[in-house]
Amino acid sequence: MATFELLKTTEHSIRLGRMTILRNHERKILNTPNCLACTARGSVPHLTPDSLREIPVEALEITLEQFLDVQPPPSSLFPNGAHKFFNLEEYLLFFDVRDPGELKKIPFNTDKFASVITSQGIRKITPDDYVKYVNSYNPEMFASLSDTITAESPSPKRIKKSVNRTLTWLDHALANIKEGIHVFGAVVGHDNHEERVRSAQETANRKVAGFVLNGHDLGNTSKERLDILKTSINHLPKDKIRIAYGIEKPADILRGILEGIDVFDASYPSKMTSAGKAFVFSLNNDKWDTDTGCSQHINLLEGQYRTDYQPFIQTCKCYACRNHTRAYVHHLLNAREMLANVLLMSHNLYHYSQFFKKIRESMEQDTFLQFAEQFLQRYGEEEYKNDHEVTLENAEFSINQNKTEHNSSF
Amino acid sequence: MKSALVWKVIARCSTTKARVALLTLPHGNVDTPVFMPVGTQGTLKGLTPKQLEELGCQIMLNNTYHLGLRPGQELLEEVGGSHKFQNWNRNLLTDSGGFQMVSLLKLACITEEGVNFQSPHEDGSTMLLTPEHSISLQNSIGADIIMQLDDVVSSLTKGPRVEEATDRSIRWLDRCIAAHKKPDSQNLFAIIQGGLDPDLRRKCVEEMVKRDTPGYAIGGLSGGEEKDIFWRIVTLCTDLLPDHKPIYCMGVGYTEDLIVCSALGIDMFDCVFPTRTARFGNALTSTGTLNLKTSKFSQDFRPIEEDCDCLTCKSFTRAYVHLQSTRETVGCHLITIHNVSYQLRLMRNIRNAIAENRFPQFIQKSFKDLFGGPDRYPEWAVNALKSVDVTLLP
Repeated sequence: MATFELLKTTEHSIRLGRMTILRNHERKILNTPNCLACTARGSVPHLTPDSLREIPVEALEITLEQFLDVQPPPSSLFPNGAHKFFNLEEYLLFFDVRDPGELKKIPFNTDKFASVITSQGIRKITPDDYVKYVNSYNPEMFASLSDTITAESPSPKRIKKSVNRTLTWLDHALANIKEGIHVFGAVVGHDNHEERVRSAQETANRKVAGFVLNGHDLGNTSKERLDILKTSINHLPKDKIRIAYGIEKPADILRGILEGIDVFDASYPSKMTSAGKAFVFSLNNDKWDTDTGCSQHINLLEGQYRTDYQPFIQTCKCYACRNHTRAYVHHLLNAREMLANVLLMSHNLYHYSQFFKKIRESMEQDTFLQFAEQFLQRYGEEEYKNDHEVTLENAEFSINQNKTEHNSSF
Repeated sequence: MKSALVWKVIARCSTTKARVALLTLPHGNVDTPVFMPVGTQGTLKGLTPKQLEELGCQIMLNNTYHLGLRPGQELLEEVGGSHKFQNWNRNLLTDSGGFQMVSLLKLACITEEGVNFQSPHEDGSTMLLTPEHSISLQNSIGADIIMQLDDVVSSLTKGPRVEEATDRSIRWLDRCIAAHKKPDSQNLFAIIQGGLDPDLRRKCVEEMVKRDTPGYAIGGLSGGEEKDIFWRIVTLCTDLLPDHKPIYCMGVGYTEDLIVCSALGIDMFDCVFPTRTARFGNALTSTGTLNLKTSKFSQDFRPIEEDCDCLTCKSFTRAYVHLQSTRETVGCHLITIHNVSYQLRLMRNIRNAIAENRFPQFIQKSFKDLFGGPDRYPEWAVNALKSVDVTLLP
């Protein structure tokens, strides 16, 4: 059984919520606003289970396309379900076909199947097989299959077809899914206002537990993206939970929350980790507890951190900040040692989840608007300016070999 | 010379030369025979110091050559050494840097002064690593055990060069002892050279034992020489070296080698093999290696090893590790955790077997598990064990 309660809500779209899922006498809770930790082949990138458990995440997203190179995926044949297979028993699991962190360009979908990109190339997944696999993995939640459009400037006809197909596949999922697995309806409609409204309304008419909106590839800036998603959100019932992909940066998340989004994907911490960066944005308005001015992150590859013997954030309680220095992580990155990513990911995901905790606390204390305003004032401008920053930086890791400094003592 | 360790033999095998001892170093106790995993650049391949501690690791290696390049001596001096820099509060051992010079750098040239090598700065300049410089670097790194700079020649080298290297290693030991500034907190080990020549080995042991260092290493082996000669040199050295000091056999890490060399009286081992092979998807087990990258494990829902209590085996199936090992760093971490755990467990089992005076039976069973049957036992191991009265073949 799944319930979503709005503990506090205002006309400013503030939604302090709690989703409770009760299965086999086990109660799991997702406090919202919150994020879904993202996984690569079923594990949070770089983190072994003991390291993950140092981070207060409540739910994880598992991307099925990463398993579809062989069908049925061997892991779906494991008799005891995904929680056990991935060693994530205490967490809520949310399955989707597509990666919340990026939308891979696919050739085409038909009425019978959707195309997915796997590590071994293009594969097809039928609505039937999808539900079959999900039934076998047995997560608490999953997103219904959507007819995703990755072509540039699709025609209104194509968008309409996508809405219809996605609804058909949702009906199929609702009819065939096992009891105890909650269906989230994919709300689509690309950038077409009418179709977004229709998709939202039609999906809302069905017995879904919540909604999933994929913001990737919509609009050129995060503002445009949010404006497009807003069209759908305005036509969704207030009492159901909304998940959105592609709204990643802290300031954008605050804006997304103001538009009524409850849950975001946490792929941003992984992206920052791959770029050698650590979050340093402050969670405290009154007393900025970081020394980094208006920067939200620091690039540990930079020479200035070579002899910087403080943690990423002095007051941070994550494993990396409690035990290691910026200088050490700088060294690890230069030496191309994997522990650099472990420590960066431990910190980035921890800090990201603390950001959501801070948001929920401020809602409880009726100071959210003040917190958001001050945060946006301090960091908001930078967000809009550097919308494409992260994708560019992802290329950095392979390049930085040339930047490696030699500091020989011989 | 001064020593910053306490060496206490707790049990001796009544058949072989194996012994169990407690080695107390500045950063805590080490139970021997011990395998020391290699954390070349101040980190053990993706594992956090906490994970390594939880695995029960009491001593790890760092490489002087790498740490000298980066983060560099000045920074290590400023931080207060490698323990602090990497937040590892247990013991460290550093090598001299000489082995890397010779093995990694093609243009290394050895003179009486030291090892001349091409600078990694790619500006064409050359640099010189002297015994004094190696010790100064190791003093800054601050490991609990440090190694003398030795004149390393390939174990396949023959002729006068071997004798020259042996004599020079003895002279360099004197220079290292003279240069060592922290004998109160760091133990300098001599390295026995002499190639595959028993007479040179004898001479080297004799001279180095006169220097009375806190412990001794056997160097110049594991370089591709025939195993049947390798073990004879090892057993010769353990016969000649003083009984009241730890003996370290450098670069040894395969299961059968660890078992045989323990039986020949070796106390300490190191090797990059278990952690390096993990990155290629190879998991070590008592019945041999599993390459988890191969697709036959994609539906294998057993743990890597049934009776292993490591984080990986307690949490995951082979199928999961297979899924991760082909692409994600987590796959590497999980196999590394298992392999380090495997090595430490193997050494614990060896110690228990010696302490309980059932080491010969332990050896027999381990070989049977590992190789399947007597027809597959390596001949050198059969010979080596026979020399210490353990019969592998009926």
